[in-house]
Amino acid sequence: MSHALALHGVTKRYGNFVAVDRVSLDVAAGSFLTLLGPSGSGKTTILMAIAGFTVPDAGRILLDTKDITALPPEKRDFGMVFQGYALFPHMTVAENVAFPLRVRGMGRAEREDKVRAALDLVQLSALGDRRPQQLSGGQQQRVALARALVFDPALLLLDEPLSALDKKLRAELQEELRALHRRVGRTFVNVTHDQDEALSLSDQVAILNHGKLIQTGEPAALYERPATRFVADFLGKSNFLEATAEGGVLHLGGLDLAQADAPASGPVLLSLRPEKIALLADGETAANVAPGKILSWSYLGAGYSLVVDTPMGPLRASLPSWRAPIAPAEGLAVRLGWAADAAVAVAEDPA
Amino acid sequence: MNGGHGPGGGHGPGPFARGIAWATALYLLLPLSIVLPVSLTDQRFLSLPKHDISWQYYHNLFTSPLWLDAMAQSFWIACAATAIAVICGTLCAIGCWRLARRSTEVIRALMLLPLIIPSIVYAIGLYRYFAWAGLLDTFLGVALAHGVTGIPYVIVTVSTALAAFDPRLEQASRGMGASLRQTLAWVILPRIMPGIVSGGIFAFIHSWDELLIVLFIASRNVYTLPRRIWNGINENLDPTMAAVAVLLIGMTLALLLLDMALRRRREG
Repeated sequence: MSHALALHGVTKRYGNFVAVDRVSLDVAAGSFLTLLGPSGSGKTTILMAIAGFTVPDAGRILLDTKDITALPPEKRDFGMVFQGYALFPHMTVAENVAFPLRVRGMGRAEREDKVRAALDLVQLSALGDRRPQQLSGGQQQRVALARALVFDPALLLLDEPLSALDKKLRAELQEELRALHRRVGRTFVNVTHDQDEALSLSDQVAILNHGKLIQTGEPAALYERPATRFVADFLGKSNFLEATAEGGVLHLGGLDLAQADAPASGPVLLSLRPEKIALLADGETAANVAPGKILSWSYLGAGYSLVVDTPMGPLRASLPSWRAPIAPAEGLAVRLGWAADAAVAVAEDPA
Repeated sequence: MNGGHGPGGGHGPGPFARGIAWATALYLLLPLSIVLPVSLTDQRFLSLPKHDISWQYYHNLFTSPLWLDAMAQSFWIACAATAIAVICGTLCAIGCWRLARRSTEVIRALMLLPLIIPSIVYAIGLYRYFAWAGLLDTFLGVALAHGVTGIPYVIVTVSTALAAFDPRLEQASRGMGASLRQTLAWVILPRIMPGIVSGGIFAFIHSWDELLIVLFIASRNVYTLPRRIWNGINENLDPTMAAVAVLLIGMTLALLLLDMALRRRREG
């Protein structure tokens, strides 16, 4: 059985510095929530408050309907995977995994069964007698997972669980973690600064900046409909068009913009993803067309990243490299085009 | 004396540096080395052997009830003092480490005072307090005095071990539901055990060869080995004292080697 978690107005100050500012969140039972933000955004402080290592100055934390704000960490029954894993170096892998069971005074036979099952779950059954120092980073990470799950915790907390691994291993373990979540069906709360990890792992992503919760939602919803400039910029790449609306038409750089849901008047900030901009062939047209010259470009394997100087300012566009219609070169004249629903109006972030 | 592994790299020490190093080493070791031949003397007073090597004073040492009693007293006092120093020192070091405030830094510095202030000043103070508490010339009194003055050794070694302890291990333990006692017993203590053992060994050695405090707070009942030697020197020049001295040195050396071996095993 899994549990739901709710945060109501959680605030934490360190002196004059507000690390977490009135954050409210709901995590549905059995879902995978990721707290995403740059360093100093308060995401780790929130996780530590959920774990009980940090007591909030204001606000409440509820597990289902029970207030756990003041409950010490050892009474919360939450599994946690620490940054760097925090495996006990003086114990074997099996002893590490058995630790939470030993703490609960479980009998030896039952303990051994559970440890075996937990090590099976992370495919490490053969390594129970090793010391953590003898394992690779990825294996240590799995031991930490087994140890955090072996006692059927109410919640699993993950503090940057993949940050110590190299890129390829990280991608592998992302998939494993996702599969593990499906298999055990518990509520997971993950902290990361890696946007790819957040998008690929989570059911829900909460984006934080300067201690404030900026936006929550499913990964696709956040990516496609970012609420503010920060969200659009932090999740993936984005062009920002600072246009002005007059009588239902948007103007920027002497050009008119066709934009769905445009306001009637006033300044409008648009976020336009590079992959939604197409390179137009001769004679081809689109709802929005901007002529320009390539300022700079780079080859990324799967595609090219172009920066094109247009009357609207420099725009970043991506171009698949497979059978690309042009050979990018600096100074090359191109025409960019995008649909009326490609860009999204976003708000400026409060300072 | 690390010959030539200094920052100069590759260059050995000059003859002058080498000479000074050897002179210093000899200066430290010669007074110790003299007791070994003296303890094997065939004469009836403290002197070097004249005609033959004799084990009579070792025989005397291990048959005389006076010396055996002093040895036993010293040993049990050292054990009790070590227990006091290890328990108090370890708990104090862990407490300071966990709280880690400016006030705990002051406490830690205060606990090192017995190392810093002259023993004789400490002994005079102890004499006054123990007279008032009725602890003069008792086993408990001497064990307490040695235990308390042994605490700094334990605090230093345990604090050093704790500085290398990853605080996330404690968080992990608590996060998995361990009480403070379980965390202490299963996570913190095993990690800092080498530091505790080291401190215990030093505390034992400290008590084992401590004389000054004993001179002040003991009279008829409590006779530790160093005090027996001291009185022996004042009263007569019995070569048995040299045999005792060899025994003291041997015990201390054995403990230091044990400490080194434990350290090597931990690092290796």
